[in-house]
Amino acid sequence: MNKKRSMVILSVLLVMSMLLAACGGKNNANNAANGNSGNSGKSGAVKTVKVFQFKTEIVEGLNELKVEFEKEYPNIKLDIQTVGGGADYAAALKTKFASGDAPDIFSNGGFAELDMWQDKIEDLSDQAWVKDLVPLAAEPMTKDGKVYGMPMNLEGIGYVYNKDLFAKAGITETPKTITELEEAAKKLQAAGITPFGNAYQEWWLLGNQGISTAFARQDNVDEFIKGLNEGTQTIVGNQQFKDWSNLLNLTVKYGQKNPLTTDANTHLALFANSEIGMMQEGNWAQTLIDNITPGMNIGMFPMPIDDNAEKNDKLTVGIPANLVVNKDSASKEEAKIFLNWLVTSDMGKEYIVKKWKFIPALTTIPASAEDIGMLGADVKKYVDENKVYGLQSSKFPDGVTQEFASAIQELIAGKTDVNGWMTNMQAAWDKLKK
Amino acid sequence: MRSRKLSHYGQQFFFVGPAVLFFTLVMIIPFLMGMYYSFTDWNGVSGEVTWVGFDNFAKIFSGDPDFWKSFWFTVRFTVLGVVLTNLVGFFLAYFLTKPLKSRNVLRTVFFMPNIIGGLLLGFIWQFIFIKGFSTLGDMTGWSFFQLPWLGDATTGFWAIVMVFVWQYSGYLMVIYIASLSNVSKEVLEAAEIDGASHFQVLRSIIAPLIMPAVTVSLFLAISWSFKMFDLNLSLTKGGPFKSTESVALNIYNEAFLNNRYGLGTAKALLFFVIVAIISLIQVRITKSKEVEA
Repeated sequence: MNKKRSMVILSVLLVMSMLLAACGGKNNANNAANGNSGNSGKSGAVKTVKVFQFKTEIVEGLNELKVEFEKEYPNIKLDIQTVGGGADYAAALKTKFASGDAPDIFSNGGFAELDMWQDKIEDLSDQAWVKDLVPLAAEPMTKDGKVYGMPMNLEGIGYVYNKDLFAKAGITETPKTITELEEAAKKLQAAGITPFGNAYQEWWLLGNQGISTAFARQDNVDEFIKGLNEGTQTIVGNQQFKDWSNLLNLTVKYGQKNPLTTDANTHLALFANSEIGMMQEGNWAQTLIDNITPGMNIGMFPMPIDDNAEKNDKLTVGIPANLVVNKDSASKEEAKIFLNWLVTSDMGKEYIVKKWKFIPALTTIPASAEDIGMLGADVKKYVDENKVYGLQSSKFPDGVTQEFASAIQELIAGKTDVNGWMTNMQAAWDKLKK
Repeated sequence: MRSRKLSHYGQQFFFVGPAVLFFTLVMIIPFLMGMYYSFTDWNGVSGEVTWVGFDNFAKIFSGDPDFWKSFWFTVRFTVLGVVLTNLVGFFLAYFLTKPLKSRNVLRTVFFMPNIIGGLLLGFIWQFIFIKGFSTLGDMTGWSFFQLPWLGDATTGFWAIVMVFVWQYSGYLMVIYIASLSNVSKEVLEAAEIDGASHFQVLRSIIAPLIMPAVTVSLFLAISWSFKMFDLNLSLTKGGPFKSTESVALNIYNEAFLNNRYGLGTAKALLFFVIVAIISLIQVRITKSKEVEA
């Protein structure tokens, strides 16, 4: 009996080792073949560039661009794959790397995420488009003076408001302070309009984009974050966080019911049906709103947390994703050709601005208000006047944004008070800092 | 003689080999790798893997209240989930083995949720809880529908329990039906002639005779509800404020959101040991109750 079993195990092991050996052999052969085929895109064998990205809204446009690109460069084939949603994308990307199916071009959020992936990412500092980057846009992917990725676009985050409803309620100017915001909310309410739509079920809306303001308003945010990591700074009792919680309470007080079960789709629908006056969103909401109600008269203003009009009048602007090239890829030169083509060819430029309504991260790509929509135009105005705060969340330790969101939701649900909330926020940071 | 022996091994190899091979490839090897990673601080990406010994386990026991919170949630969920799925499954089976006209249709209907995947079900039910229930609440004014479904810890918990029971009791129903229709007619008839009531038949004849099915069903329900992930992810994502986070989701978040793969696998390993012990005890207890007619 024992002997039998060991025979079976032995034979299985044998077959398996053969299989493994076969896999290994194939890999080697592949690498060798790839290594030999030179690095110019226009001659030699056809090479495939695998692109793995997470912006589901641009898939269609990317596929159209792919056709055009492959016409221009017949020796490069693009293989575009998309997995939506931040967390799912990160997990899928790790799986791809672990299974030996690493993509040649993929997305990276910059700052902390750059640190994490740095030994897989190619230095792109020598690329032609680097010098044309908007300075703010280059920041997340810059480390030790080297640029590691191409920012896809700029995204502004603030309150998206319905200009017609604001006019109807008699609000002539966008609120610049929290007091003005409350007055505006009261006027809206008096006119029978729910002032705020709060999609507080979404962790990213709270723990990533919302709380960023409280960080950005610190005297020196990088010092503050460094201090948090070293234990010399604390969120507990911090004035900007207290102020931010006032803003949160204000939105809940004047918001629709059940904020914790409302997701982004719901508040977008409420907004597009003119049931709410404003909501915390980004300029990407333009295309989503257009899909429901085209041609709405809308705009965007920054989120005020206190009564300092000057400091409040800055919009949060972030880089949602940067395209990076896999350092160990056999077709990394071809990948660079594609990235360059994307931002320099006429078709690429046109798609970025007109089709995707992106606020370009490169100064060489022109964008007019008609192209990028009313929200995009508002964001661009703030960017051009340099009245912006960078989105801080990519500087946080991994996972903190979700923990923050839980803590904030607890505050919204009334399970804790402001002091307890700040303690929870600090605990979340301490738990996850490196 | 030799050739017979050879052919014997040949057959074993032929029939068992492929299954063993794939089981090893997709279960044993990843499991062993997971065991290895649970002693490291790997972040899931970098080439650097540092051996940290039992640090991860120490961290779980000393400084991770969230894990134990999710563990307590999972335990409460499992107790309710196991009892309810089995009760509902058994009574569905009990009534659908009676000569009803619509019984084939009903069996299909109750089994249906099983065919749809958990994620999809979760999203459908999320819509029902948030949109459907509030609309019903506005129409009927019943407070049950006006609760903030999925919006606080209690409703979130019960919502997951409800969908879970709805999804899985159909499957257990099939197992119970198979077992119930195997209960010999003679025994039942004899009991009836002896003057046993319906309840007495159910308790003293049917229940002991279907004990093997109970063993299997309990085992399945326990492992399903401990591992529950897809419903959790699609219904509440563990929210609001982590009040409905199952252990499986906590492990996933640790490994993939917090990028602490080593700590995540350590939690998974610990969880595996706990679930294995519980399942073994359960199987042993119910097995001892099995009888033959």
